[in-house]
Amino acid sequence: MTRAVIDPVTRIEGHLRVECEVTDGVVKDAWVSGQLYRGMETVMLDRQPEDAFYVTQRICGVCPISHSHASSMSTEAALGIAIPNNARLIRNLLEAAQFLHSHILWFYTLAALDYVSPINALSADIADTYALAQAAGTRVADFGAIAKRLTAFAENGQLSFLGGHYWDHPGYVLPPELDLIATAHYLEALEMQAVANEIVAVIGGKFPHPMTSVPGGTAFVPTEQKLDDILFNFIRVKEFIDTALIPDTLAIAPFILETTTYGGGCGNFLSWGVFEAADMDAYNRFLPRGFVTGGLKVEEVGPDDVTEYVEHSWYDSASGLNPSKGETHVKFDEYNTDAKYTYGKSARCKEKPAEVGPLARMVNAYVYEAGGKSLVPDEWAGSVRTPKALIDLTLEALGVAGKPEILVSLLGRVAARNLEAAYVADLALMWVGELVGGIQGGDSEFFKARETFDGAGSGLWEAPRGSVGHWIDIKGNKIKGYQVVAPTTWDIAPRDAAGVLGPMEQALVGAPVFDVERPLEMLRIAHSFDP
Amino acid sequence: MAHEGHNALHDLLAVRGVTRRDFLKYCGSIAAALGLSETMAPQIAAALEGAPKLLPTLWLNGGSCSGCTESIAQVDSPDVATIVLDYLSTNYFETIMAAAGEQAEKQLSDTIAAGGYLVIYEGSVMTGQDGNTLLVAGKKGTEILSEAAAGAAAVIAVGSCAVDGGWVYGYPNPAEATGVQAWLNHEGITTPVVNLPSCPVNPEWIVAMVVQLLLVAGGDVATFVEKTEWLTRSYTDRKYGAVDLLMPKGIFGQSIHDNCPRRGHFENGEFVTEFGSKEEAMGYCLYKMGCKGPQTFTNCPIVRWNRRTSWCVEAGSPCIGCGGLNWVDNNAPFFHRLSDMQMGDALGNVQPGTVGAVVGGVAAAALVAHGLGMKAAGRVGDGPPMEEMKAYDRKRLAKKGGDK
Amino acid sequence: MGSHAHYREAHPLVFVITHWINLICMVMLAFSGFYIHFPFFSAGFMGVARGMHFVAMYVILINLVFRIVAAFFVKTANQLETREVDTDIKNWLPQAENKHQLVETLKYYLFFRKEGVISGKYGSLQKIAYLATVPLTFIQAYTGFAIYAPFADASFLAAGTTLVGGPMNMRIIHYFGMWVFILFTMVHAYLANIYNFAPSKIIFLWKETLPEGKH
Ligand code: HEM
Ligand code: HEM
Ligand code: HEM
Ligand code: SF4
Ligand code: SF4
Repeated sequence: MTRAVIDPVTRIEGHLRVECEVTDGVVKDAWVSGQLYRGMETVMLDRQPEDAFYVTQRICGVCPISHSHASSMSTEAALGIAIPNNARLIRNLLEAAQFLHSHILWFYTLAALDYVSPINALSADIADTYALAQAAGTRVADFGAIAKRLTAFAENGQLSFLGGHYWDHPGYVLPPELDLIATAHYLEALEMQAVANEIVAVIGGKFPHPMTSVPGGTAFVPTEQKLDDILFNFIRVKEFIDTALIPDTLAIAPFILETTTYGGGCGNFLSWGVFEAADMDAYNRFLPRGFVTGGLKVEEVGPDDVTEYVEHSWYDSASGLNPSKGETHVKFDEYNTDAKYTYGKSARCKEKPAEVGPLARMVNAYVYEAGGKSLVPDEWAGSVRTPKALIDLTLEALGVAGKPEILVSLLGRVAARNLEAAYVADLALMWVGELVGGIQGGDSEFFKARETFDGAGSGLWEAPRGSVGHWIDIKGNKIKGYQVVAPTTWDIAPRDAAGVLGPMEQALVGAPVFDVERPLEMLRIAHSFDP
Repeated sequence: MAHEGHNALHDLLAVRGVTRRDFLKYCGSIAAALGLSETMAPQIAAALEGAPKLLPTLWLNGGSCSGCTESIAQVDSPDVATIVLDYLSTNYFETIMAAAGEQAEKQLSDTIAAGGYLVIYEGSVMTGQDGNTLLVAGKKGTEILSEAAAGAAAVIAVGSCAVDGGWVYGYPNPAEATGVQAWLNHEGITTPVVNLPSCPVNPEWIVAMVVQLLLVAGGDVATFVEKTEWLTRSYTDRKYGAVDLLMPKGIFGQSIHDNCPRRGHFENGEFVTEFGSKEEAMGYCLYKMGCKGPQTFTNCPIVRWNRRTSWCVEAGSPCIGCGGLNWVDNNAPFFHRLSDMQMGDALGNVQPGTVGAVVGGVAAAALVAHGLGMKAAGRVGDGPPMEEMKAYDRKRLAKKGGDK
Repeated sequence: MGSHAHYREAHPLVFVITHWINLICMVMLAFSGFYIHFPFFSAGFMGVARGMHFVAMYVILINLVFRIVAAFFVKTANQLETREVDTDIKNWLPQAENKHQLVETLKYYLFFRKEGVISGKYGSLQKIAYLATVPLTFIQAYTGFAIYAPFADASFLAAGTTLVGGPMNMRIIHYFGMWVFILFTMVHAYLANIYNFAPSKIIFLWKETLPEGKH
């Protein structure tokens, strides 16, 4: 029995420690610890609702847009504002750009290095690499030049951010040619995530921390030129997803099929829903709201179903509260896996731990479609690949058609993210069309001013990495209470009052660890949540 | 990658498919970011071509949202910019580095032991709960900063959080966040700190600083600090007192308002009064929506964001002054001209205009009341009967025995 | 007080003029300042408002400097009801007649005593108020220049900006400065006219009010 520790977990947003008890090469128990407390709620007190829109998105530099939308939605719910249709579409586009940016960046920059070894790529045969790329249907680059560049990089002796890693770990199983292809796409992905963010900049002024989705609608009024730029960039990003992200995923998966056997986690999947449909019903969002706890059944969920426990967290405020009545009194103690060990609160949905993120959303969407309902308007059917279609296709490619449950695993979590990117890219093009049509049809409304200045409400939405909720209480146009439940809160939740492990902790339990000094498998699982 | 002078750069450009013309164009844009004339481009190119060996760099994350890391990934024409950034050998960079855990920590300690490195610090310095609000590998974040900064040639504090605590410092957050300079003052560490405030940092500025390092100092950090034109801005930290900050003048010397493309509308008194209105469609000035451009000193309108795609005001939002110091307290509420004043628990956050109007109103009411009093006392018209002698003299006389 | 004579010797023509300039500039500054603070009507006026502010701010400064210098050269009456003149600065500084009268004057205005108090041409409070307008105007000029781009970088101004915690705070101080002047003018105009309009006649129209007899 040994303790394997990763601290810090790198290639994530924030500061995370993962500790596992390993017996006979298998994880028996796990503790996930958030190591940073910044506090946001008190900063918002006695300020105005739009200040919350601008400031609370700064909780996360990777998914600021989702936070900002949840914040504006909470204000709109509190003050009874229904945003205009143009604003709905512009927000969907902004959110979509962020999803695409985030998923591309996650797969290539943050997660790929757990599977792909750029060092191994040095021994690739260039001709074979071209052949492999052709066969996999993935994008061809100037592989020779990239190999040369990598060699120069390695010979220089200063490996920069690639330095110090255990590239000789036997978990790196890809052929060098595939390593080279993925490395080439790693570099292209850096360009493509930036292109996705140019869309954000057009609409929101800048990324991170865009400026325009203010409570009431949007401050962005598009010109023809800007709409063109948006469309053009979405097309470029979509092309990259179709010619690199998806084929790469399918090319790598067969080599790491054992990752379908562990990393599944708690099996409860929560989605608040994201990408508003015309009817503004959260259960009909393009990625719908729902809570799936097993089988093809979905339950309704709402803000009242959330509770937060702090028995194992460094707070001395009351435990088991709903965020609308939330308290945050931080009090550091020592790090002790038997008592308190994290700044993360233990968020529970209907008293159960809940996994959030792409896998949770795809599961909810799958169940929605499996129930015979259609996620997109009928006339889009030919242009949009919906979640169920994408999942079925993937299962077929892996030779496990008709067994979606196999995706409740490490591999499934990785794949779900990339499949979701494909769906969102398709949708984005449709929304641009819809927006252009509306504006040409004479709709010039982008914003609704508030008429009341008192109320309380919540904004429940999805960030690329999972469910995000903001709760606001407004009196006389001033904020009297503010609470945030961030996506990571769900996934890195510690044990609750009853001692039930959080989603990432459960995903770790049962995972094999080949070498406790170099726990690559633990790293992969932690990364799969994009914490 | 190799930087053995001229050829190395050409190889790099060739590998990335960048033409010499593109390269010079980009150097011109860096010149603009530095507040230099674009005719400096060839000199900048030459400086990059002659770049000496890589500079070991530690990118440390404090209480950050990773937004500044995200931002640096959005740098202008990334291929060229990454060539510049490749000049930094980032041995430790939590958000992107391959290694994790112990292997990552070893990268950090090895670099510190070797010395002669640059520290780039993102996020606020977390001093709350006795420094325990940020832990990395069982160590306090503040300890790591002190250790790394003490041996560094220089520290670049990127983003408002690193500069002065950013929003995390916002009143009345008990997290006790502060900036790098304030913390190093407190620790008695004299390593020079270059400050690049704004939330997040504009990536072009980091590139510009690296270029400046090569341009004026051939890569020598001490000379760079000595030869760059700096501004000193100061502020008072609630916990650590007065702090002087060094900022590059080329970037932070001019107000947003003075370079704003909407400035003509400001002068003409053409304002947006509601978002999404036809005034906004016409690109009118956002002053009445609370734009903080007049009080904010950065080159956002020139350098713009996300590879020059756009910036806040162009997209339709008032500037919220995120490039200023203590930006949340100094600029919120963002849709009002002046910031709120924090008037304690009883009164909360109050607008200066409200204070002015209340005091003015009270004074007016008092004068009316006083006037009525004067009338009632019969003083109006001819005035009061005058005293014959000052009250003071009368009293003194009375004391003396009243011999008048 | 109102029943006193108001001779021209108390307010020679040049001070009537400086007072007029002062008044006009103040009205222009406060009006344009209010508009700059928040443009309450949109009619292409911002440029005009700023122009107005920038002209008036120089005029009021020159006027003030002139007024201060003149106080040492021009002769005015410094006692009530007399045509005897002396250097004007005596009016601004405490005179023998003001000694021990500050508290008494306050009592008078708060209705704790009936009789008016002995003073020079100006009472103690009045002197304090007038004297205070001088540094106040300079403070307003300082804070104004500190937020005025062409000058803001001067180290003498930048240091102040730093001291108060940035340009936003400097602007707020400048804005509050306006309110102080508004308050001063309210009290000042009230007191000037509460008894009768003789003081205003002399300071604006340079018309004497002759004594109606002793009291
Ligand atoms: C005596 C020298 C003065 C100077 C140099 C000066 C200068 C300025 C400047 C440069 C501005 C900013 C204009 C802009 O940014 O476009 C300004 C604004 C203003 N000024 Fe003055 N000013 C002076 C006196 C006054 C006085 C005497 C008053 C009031 C009675 C006044 C009231 C204001 C107000 C209310 C603002 C707007 C502040 C805000 O933004 O809320 N100023 N002044
Ligand atoms: C608290 C005490 C006083 C204050 C604050 C005060 C205030 C003023 C002020 C501000 C003025 C300037 C112009 C004007 O407003 O009239 C003034 C004028 C005058 N005050 Fe008073 N005053 C005070 C007491 C007195 C007293 C006790 C007297 C006389 C007995 C007096 C006699 C005058 C006269 C004669 C003028 C007009 C000056 C002139 O035009 O020659 N004041 N006072
Ligand atoms: C509402 C308009 C005003 C009225 C009715 C008024 C009236 C008067 C009167 C009657 C005097 C002569 C009192 C005396 O010298 O004993 C005086 C003097 C004075 N006033 Fe005003 N005034 C007005 C506005 C202002 C303003 C706006 C200022 C400056 C902010 C100002 C500053 C002064 C000063 C400093 C004196 C002292 C005497 C001097 O300079 O010769 N007044 N005012
Ligand atoms: S939009 Fe802002 S920065 Fe631009 S001119 Fe108007 S007030 Fe100045
Ligand atoms: S324009 Fe203003 S709000 Fe936007 S980035 Fe620059 S300083 Fe920040």
